[in-house]
Amino acid sequence: MHRTIASLPLAPSVKTKLTSAGFDTCADLKDLRPLQLCKEAGISQEEALEVLQTLRSDEGVGGAAAVRGGVTALQLLQKEHALGDIITFCSALDSALGGGVPVGKTTEVCGAPGVGKTQLCVQLAVDVQIPVCLGGQGGQALYLDTEGSFLVQRAADVAQAAVEHCTLLAHDHEQQAALKDFTVENILSRLWLVRCHDYVELLAHCYLLPDFLTKHPEVQLVVIDSIAFPFRHDFEDFSQRTRLLNGLAQQLIQLATEHSVAVVLTNQMTTKVWNGQSKLVPALGESWGHAATQRLILHWEGTQRLASIFKSPSQMEATVPYCITECEAMSGSSNEEKTFRRFLELFLREMKPHCWRTNRLRCGQ
Amino acid sequence: MQNKKLARAGVGSHICERLKNHHVETCKDLLSLTPLEVMRVAGQSHYQSLQLLKSVSLACAPKIIPAQELWLQREDLCFSTSLRELDGLLQGGVPRGTITEVTGPSGCGKSQLCMMLSVLATLPRSMGGLDSGVIYIDTESAFSAERLLEIARSRFPDYFSVPERLLQTAGRVHLFKELTCQEVLTRLAQLEEDIISCHAGLVILDSVASVVRKEFDTSLSGNLTHRSNLLGREAATLKYLAQEFRIPVVVTNQITTHFSERASSSSLSRRWNVPEAPGAEGERDSGYVTAALGNTWSHNVNTRLIVQYVDAHLRQIVIAKSPVAPFAVLNYTVQKEGIRLEGNASKEIMSAQGTDPGLHPIRVRTGIDYRLTGAMATMAPYTIAAAAAAATTTTTTTGGRCENTDV
Repeated sequence: MHRTIASLPLAPSVKTKLTSAGFDTCADLKDLRPLQLCKEAGISQEEALEVLQTLRSDEGVGGAAAVRGGVTALQLLQKEHALGDIITFCSALDSALGGGVPVGKTTEVCGAPGVGKTQLCVQLAVDVQIPVCLGGQGGQALYLDTEGSFLVQRAADVAQAAVEHCTLLAHDHEQQAALKDFTVENILSRLWLVRCHDYVELLAHCYLLPDFLTKHPEVQLVVIDSIAFPFRHDFEDFSQRTRLLNGLAQQLIQLATEHSVAVVLTNQMTTKVWNGQSKLVPALGESWGHAATQRLILHWEGTQRLASIFKSPSQMEATVPYCITECEAMSGSSNEEKTFRRFLELFLREMKPHCWRTNRLRCGQ
Repeated sequence: MQNKKLARAGVGSHICERLKNHHVETCKDLLSLTPLEVMRVAGQSHYQSLQLLKSVSLACAPKIIPAQELWLQREDLCFSTSLRELDGLLQGGVPRGTITEVTGPSGCGKSQLCMMLSVLATLPRSMGGLDSGVIYIDTESAFSAERLLEIARSRFPDYFSVPERLLQTAGRVHLFKELTCQEVLTRLAQLEEDIISCHAGLVILDSVASVVRKEFDTSLSGNLTHRSNLLGREAATLKYLAQEFRIPVVVTNQITTHFSERASSSSLSRRWNVPEAPGAEGERDSGYVTAALGNTWSHNVNTRLIVQYVDAHLRQIVIAKSPVAPFAVLNYTVQKEGIRLEGNASKEIMSAQGTDPGLHPIRVRTGIDYRLTGAMATMAPYTIAAAAAAATTTTTTTGGRCENTDV
């Protein structure tokens, strides 16, 4: 602290000004703010900042970099591009989501029973593993199943469909080499699965997730299917439930950012009576609505399945249809097995152009 | 695992003691607290409380396995219904470890299906059975032992030509008649022990709806929430047991009339009702029939099968919700031997389009049909079906009318 100003690595003109203003040792500069220093010593604001930063870095406090703690939008843009998105294989949904389910963010999928929440999750758990050279993420997935809806047969079928689809896409040697590794067995062995029976086990896993993700850095997707089931019964004290859910939401957001994983949650729908009319709204209450960065609602309109972006900081609110389409291979009865496989493949991918429509959701409902 | 005592979860004895003073004794108690609350009750620093939460989490968290491990045991994941087309669609049959719901109008064959599954479960593995006992919780007093044996005899005449085998099958089906909500809950609470002592490989709850619908008047406020909570608990217990014992659980559900929402919900209900049979015209204004117990319960079942009427003897199984199967419609009749699928060409099965399983309209018997055959059908549905079987063979080729043709 008794180091003299003269010994600091500063421009001579600045040193002269400092000395003439009466600053002799570093200790004199210690508690000054840049603007104060700028006025007292008659140096520019930039010079004042430089002096103080030099002083700090000299003391080993660090922080010579531009702005401590923050990043610029440019850096963020580059980072988000590097993280990428997990494609859903449904072009309309992908474009509505801005390329797919974003890595490093939390996404909540709400929907009526049987509308395809679990299907979407299984699809994502497979899609995240598509090799990088084929436009995928080449990652692994962790699937926390609280409802018992994860059936491995289904996952295997989706995996098979993804392998077949990628085989069609592969052109050069690098891609073909990557495909050798992209088999149903490998996909399933990179899909980590855990069945949580109640909210305690779910919370326990959330505490352990950081360790798991550190140990398995390849994991880029964490699915919780569903967040609603364990929290919708067993609670007498609703304020406790809200507290736990808020904590959980915070943990998951932290997890998504720190470990660069996409967190996908599914939520159920509940009936709310409002002005004498009943309508379906996502379960777990209003405050849970803040939990996820993006909210997607899957719903039925007659026999049509629609996906609506309900909340997103970056995407337009939009509604896109996704369909299960019949495939042409139906005619041969011996193709039965193939038909089922095709169904999976088609589940989220195909969309009929003529029924494409985008309408703004009536928000605030 | 949630009731594991903290002492067994590797928590030091002095912290245990301290936590006990705050009535925190089990893993559940501790994990229900936020880290800040843990700091306060355990008197630890933030970092230490996080470590404490982590170590307790480790003690009670289930293991993470790769899906490949399950895939290797895939032969063991389903329970065959012995109905070839249905098994095909469900990728092997009723999935184990999950809840399968059968819903439909009365007399349509829900209990028949359950009894048939009970027979199948007692069969030796070589015949596609589970070689195990069955727990049959009957809340409607619909179970008939005689009918069970009749299904067994007619379905597998060769195997059951030996009377001892018939007795063995009958002895393996354990029936519990529970007629109130409380009784059902008590039964479910001790189901774990029952499953072990009966060597049960199949649990049937027939039906989940009757007792709760009897005891909860949903027009009173608060009752609906209470009912969903109760059903949620039942579902959680059943799911837990299904998963732990790796057995299928089948529940049946009733139907209810869903009143179409007012103009705001667009043309949904009108559209759904358009292709209905002519007899359904009268229902257009008064709503349509759909699965009971509401939307929340629909989330609780993993697979939903709907049985419905086509005409006097021909009925349909609709796969309305399934993690593995597409929406599909299969025709069947109820026969002496239980359920028999009739004339299902693969094209027709797949051509149907699904809709929300919570709101899927179910076809009930229409007025005219009911007058003609109603009395007989309620008495002995299978005998009239058998009598009509001769006629069926000529007429079922037109079966598989798609109900939900999109307009």
